[in-house]
Amino acid sequence: MTALPRRIRDELVAIVGAANVRTERGDLTPYARDATPLFHAYPDAVVFPGTTAEVAEILKLATAHGIPVTPRGAGTNLCAATVPEAGGIVLVLTRLNRILEVSGDELLARVEPGVTTARLADAAEAAGLCYAPDPGSRTASTVGGNVATCAGGLRGLKYGVTRNYVLGLTAVLPTGEIIRTGGRLWKDVAGYDLTRLLTGSEGTLAVITEITVALLPKPSHSGTGVGYFRSLADSGRAVTAVIAAGIVPATLEFLDEKCIDAVERFAHLGLRSDAGALLLFGDDGDGEMVTVHLARIAEICGAAGALDVTLAGSVARAEALLAARRCSLPALSRLGSLTILEDATVPRPRLAEMVDRIDDIAARHDLLIATFGHAGDGNLHPTCVLDPDDTDAVQRAHKAFAEIFAGAVELDGTITGEHGVGAAKRPYLADRIGTDQLALLRRVKNAFDPAGILNPGKLGS
Amino acid sequence: MTEPTAGGIFGKDLLDRCISCGFCLPACPTYELTGDEASSPRGRITLMRALETGHLDDGDPTLVEQASFCLGCRSCETVCPAGVEYGALLEQWRDHQWRGMRRPWLARVLMAVVRRAWLLRLQGLVRRHARARAREGSPALLLGCVERGLYPEVSRAVRRLRPEVTAPAGQGCCGALHAHNGDSASGAELAREIGARLPGRIVTTAGGCAAHLSAHLGRDRVKELSEYLVEVGHLPLGEVRVGGRRTRVALQDSCHLRNGMGVTRQPRELIGAVADYVELPNAGTCCGAAGTYSVLRPEDSRTVLAPKLAAIEEAGVDYVVAVNPGCLRQLRQGLRARGSRVRALHLVELLYMAEGSTGPRE
Repeated sequence: MTALPRRIRDELVAIVGAANVRTERGDLTPYARDATPLFHAYPDAVVFPGTTAEVAEILKLATAHGIPVTPRGAGTNLCAATVPEAGGIVLVLTRLNRILEVSGDELLARVEPGVTTARLADAAEAAGLCYAPDPGSRTASTVGGNVATCAGGLRGLKYGVTRNYVLGLTAVLPTGEIIRTGGRLWKDVAGYDLTRLLTGSEGTLAVITEITVALLPKPSHSGTGVGYFRSLADSGRAVTAVIAAGIVPATLEFLDEKCIDAVERFAHLGLRSDAGALLLFGDDGDGEMVTVHLARIAEICGAAGALDVTLAGSVARAEALLAARRCSLPALSRLGSLTILEDATVPRPRLAEMVDRIDDIAARHDLLIATFGHAGDGNLHPTCVLDPDDTDAVQRAHKAFAEIFAGAVELDGTITGEHGVGAAKRPYLADRIGTDQLALLRRVKNAFDPAGILNPGKLGS
Repeated sequence: MTEPTAGGIFGKDLLDRCISCGFCLPACPTYELTGDEASSPRGRITLMRALETGHLDDGDPTLVEQASFCLGCRSCETVCPAGVEYGALLEQWRDHQWRGMRRPWLARVLMAVVRRAWLLRLQGLVRRHARARAREGSPALLLGCVERGLYPEVSRAVRRLRPEVTAPAGQGCCGALHAHNGDSASGAELAREIGARLPGRIVTTAGGCAAHLSAHLGRDRVKELSEYLVEVGHLPLGEVRVGGRRTRVALQDSCHLRNGMGVTRQPRELIGAVADYVELPNAGTCCGAAGTYSVLRPEDSRTVLAPKLAAIEEAGVDYVVAVNPGCLRQLRQGLRARGSRVRALHLVELLYMAEGSTGPRE
């Protein structure tokens, strides 16, 4: 079935060795998908390079013969960024998995792209430091994948996202040149900011083979609390007031009524059934400051009409409060075997309005869409749960999400806050950035990748 | 390529549960070794789905290899947000993949041997495992098919610590071996036979047997030893000392006990009562014994074991405790081959040693 000519295969084998080239149908099958539902496409080969030089050789070969190349880390993305829509080679970077350096003096780490986010975070913590970005899939996801998709996470408001921590990259251009952008510097304006351009480029411009990230000193304390509100609008008012009071909490997560209901039925945590919204808040820093901030947030929640506010006095109690958020996806996924998790994002003050729109859209299309997400940065996760065999429902879900994305853009928001465009959001990209900008994206793509081999069908291609 | 055909190999609900999020990847020992999606739980479920829909046929070399390369440790189940029952899927996969003569021949030999009850009894005569007639209302000790021959001292130590636990003769194999090697029907049948022969509560010193039996006879009827001891309020006596100090003792979890039954606290508590307990950084990951795996894939089994042995040495412990005979054998062989001074023991041996340091139990 493979469309890869024999001699190309032989050349790939000559570059990385026979054990690191797979072309059998069975070997290709697991790489026909990632974590995104409903997207499937077989590659013609899966290749596991072990060095930057090998990556360069592979890309030169691919460019010379016009073979598509899709870079892949752990394949945990939710935008079909690593589904090889045009076939060709899936380039798996998990063999590049060394932590090269953790420097407390310079507050940085250098890693290869296949290192998992959690391993980097653990290595930083062992040195008394902190790698701040914490995407939901951090235990499995790779740093390379995080950079390629500019992954977000729960601490976005206070700490930013992956792009705020990438200092430098080693990357291989599709034509085989190895470039080093940025480095160990916080200040460096020599040239266009290619580090930022490559961050979030979803493997369409270059293949990242080494990453230098900024680290922070590890906060000594953290604390958590939870508030129940009658409605998301009430919790939204509380969030606005907290930030107006000069507090930027590390965590501000919300669950809507449908989520609370699903979590309670699944995990029996004793959540209030009369609440329309649950707000989980947390902060970190030095001990006294955390205590003061949490007390002030609790007070503000009360003034905004919270039904109930609880502060965690202990780590165990904090874990119990966090359980509601952690259980959201497990609880929802059990309501149907097809779980579509999206990430439309709106300016913070318009969050409640957006959730109302989502509820309205779900009702019109007769779908179950529950929403949880990051109240601090307006990043919502409307999650549709359905039966994959119900093709009509799947069609309705596609329509519903198209309306949700359009709604987010109308509210000055975006089609994706942290998951990426990939193949999944490609049809909606022009609605968000406009045709002129899309054309510019294509010209940028063309400058990096004249043969158009890198991850075709995604983002700027 | 063959035309897709209808499957019926897997329970639809079981296969549909997976949402392909990939959270299982870092929990999987074989993915850790290879970094290859095909040898991850999610990748294997993608392969199972391709088999079910007929996109791959069961002679496909990747299917054959991955069905065998998986340790079956079920570590993935503990991190799965969607509650996928991977162990059950693996049984169904091997039932199909390893049917009849497709099963590895060594597995066929082992399965045939442990079904000969007279052979198991003969082992007992030669090796003198514990024996005590069944008593109404008393829990019965499962002698196991491997343990009674390899480590008869384990059942004897149980009887000395807990005389109320009987050890009736005439028990066969619990069937876990069959269930894990592509014959889950025999696995279920053997479990039910054990249930009929030992009609009351069953205590076992093997985490693997405990998980298999409890799946068929009910969680309440089957207790792994550490779980039983804590439940009856067993008070460990004495302490194990070496060179004038308390010994330092680590634990190797039994995968099926930990991942299948959720028992982790009890063996640690018991060790801590008689020695200084040391938690290994990788206590919860598979040691590579994995039932018949160490026999069927010795090289991979040793590769999985290597970081475990390094961690045991690094921890500076005197003993490492196992709660399953397969793990015990694996650790003993590995430590010996490495020339390590650390010894592997079954939990009950450690408790018995401690008790030996005091006078007889009142």
